[in-house]
Amino acid sequence: MTTPLQEALEKAPVRSAAAKAAATRELFVFKLGEFTMALESTYVREVTRSGPLTPLPRMPSYLLGVGGQRGEVLPVVDLLRFFSRGESTVTERTRLFICSHQSWTVAFVADAVVGLQRFEESKIFPAPVGGGDLPIEFLGGVLVGPKSSAIALLNLPRLLAAARTRAVSR
Amino acid sequence: MTSDGPRPSAPRKKAASAGGAAALSEVIAKVKAGQLGARVDARKAGDLAPVAEELNALLAQVQERLVEADRRKEQTVQVVDQALGALIALVREGELSWNKSTDDPILGPLLEGFGKVIDTLRTFVREINEAALRLSSSANEVLAASTQHESSSTEQAAAIHETTATMEELKHASAQIAENAGAVARVAEETLNSARSGRGAIAEFIQAMQQIRADSAAVADSIAKLSKRVERIGTVVEVIDEIADRSDLLALNAALEGSRAGEAGRGFAIVASEMRRLAENVMDSTKEIKNLITEIREATAAAGGAAEASQRATEGGERLGSVAAAAVEGILSGVQETSDAARVINLATQQQRTATEQVVASMAEIEDVTRQTTSASKQATGAAAELTQLASRLAELIKRFKAD
Repeated sequence: MTTPLQEALEKAPVRSAAAKAAATRELFVFKLGEFTMALESTYVREVTRSGPLTPLPRMPSYLLGVGGQRGEVLPVVDLLRFFSRGESTVTERTRLFICSHQSWTVAFVADAVVGLQRFEESKIFPAPVGGGDLPIEFLGGVLVGPKSSAIALLNLPRLLAAARTRAVSR
Repeated sequence: MTSDGPRPSAPRKKAASAGGAAALSEVIAKVKAGQLGARVDARKAGDLAPVAEELNALLAQVQERLVEADRRKEQTVQVVDQALGALIALVREGELSWNKSTDDPILGPLLEGFGKVIDTLRTFVREINEAALRLSSSANEVLAASTQHESSSTEQAAAIHETTATMEELKHASAQIAENAGAVARVAEETLNSARSGRGAIAEFIQAMQQIRADSAAVADSIAKLSKRVERIGTVVEVIDEIADRSDLLALNAALEGSRAGEAGRGFAIVASEMRRLAENVMDSTKEIKNLITEIREATAAAGGAAEASQRATEGGERLGSVAAAAVEGILSGVQETSDAARVINLATQQQRTATEQVVASMAEIEDVTRQTTSASKQATGAAAELTQLASRLAELIKRFKAD
């Protein structure tokens, strides 16, 4: 008798062999609203639950507030509000994924985390010019997920910079 | 008689004279022959002249007496004639108005007697006339009365006939009533039995309702217990779900750690992702369980509501049952009364029928008697008519006597 875990482990070397053959990228995939988004897994430090948030005064609406995570106080950003594509509701079970880039560490709201997935480079297409559901300036590309659903690959450094600029400019 | 008076003195005169004897004898002969006016001539008589004188005086006296007698005779005849005429008038015309009297000492009593007879007769006639008049009016009254009696007795006969017919009908009707009352009594008896069995059924129904109410109370109790257990399961499932969620998070972070470790962490990452899958399976299951619990909660709530409704319904049923029981009691007493009344009616109508039969018999007798009465009154009417005729005839007869 083999457990599903053992079966998975058996399959794993085959995958890694395939990965060597074709260049792949590991992406952190999550769902927010009606969108499925992804970003480079290397930016993602940790996934936590949303604890109690403390709203900050005179802040843009996409900055929901600040929350404590392992002694750190992090700003929590709602990407739906940031993209002006609606509002996400934060509940006890809502996931927050904490991303770091340079000296910036920000927690983003996700309705659900799909997990880490590997995609072939060839499956990643550049973002369509002049159209798309999300602002093209923050997209690093578009890729096709399972069941031919589109996944938006976010450009985190630009996103962080824009968020920071907007927050400060106010 | 008066003529015989002077006769014995004649021979004496004859003997007294011879010369005058002849004259005397001649005169006597003439007197004998009836010539009473003959007188002796005194000159012829000679010496017998005194005798002749005497004779002449005698003759004059005799003649006078005879004339007197004739006059009286005449008078008597006249009176007798009158009396005879009155009698004839009486006999022929009923004339009774005769009233005469005379000073004649001989005829006076006769006339008086006759007058008394006539008087008596007149009184009789008057009384008879009066009586005949009264008789006539009485006979008329009798006739009228008997006619009326006849007609009324005819009417009575008709009325009695009708009454008899009516009584006959009444008899039939009462027979029918008796029959119907009997039928009513039978039906009432059946209804009574039905109502009695209905009463039993209602008692059973009420008992069943009480049983159901007790059962549904037990069901409600069980449902409440079940609800508590389900709540408990819910909290347990909540704990499991929480743990699974945390496991999911841990596995995800482990995968991230493994990924960061590069090639060395690859296997670790795979294990972590498998753990995530298991945790997700658990969460799917708990979600299913939660859905089931929700369904069970709804079902138990519905069952509780149903049990409560059932309790209420059974309470209503019990009330209705007691109402129905009361109604059946009422029906029972009512039907009992109806049955009794129908029986009484049956008896009464039977008695009525007998009574009616008796009445019919009596009416037949009365009819018979009335028929006899009618025929008798017819006879009486005939007799009265005859009597009236007789009375009028009598009155007519009496009228012939003119009394006044």
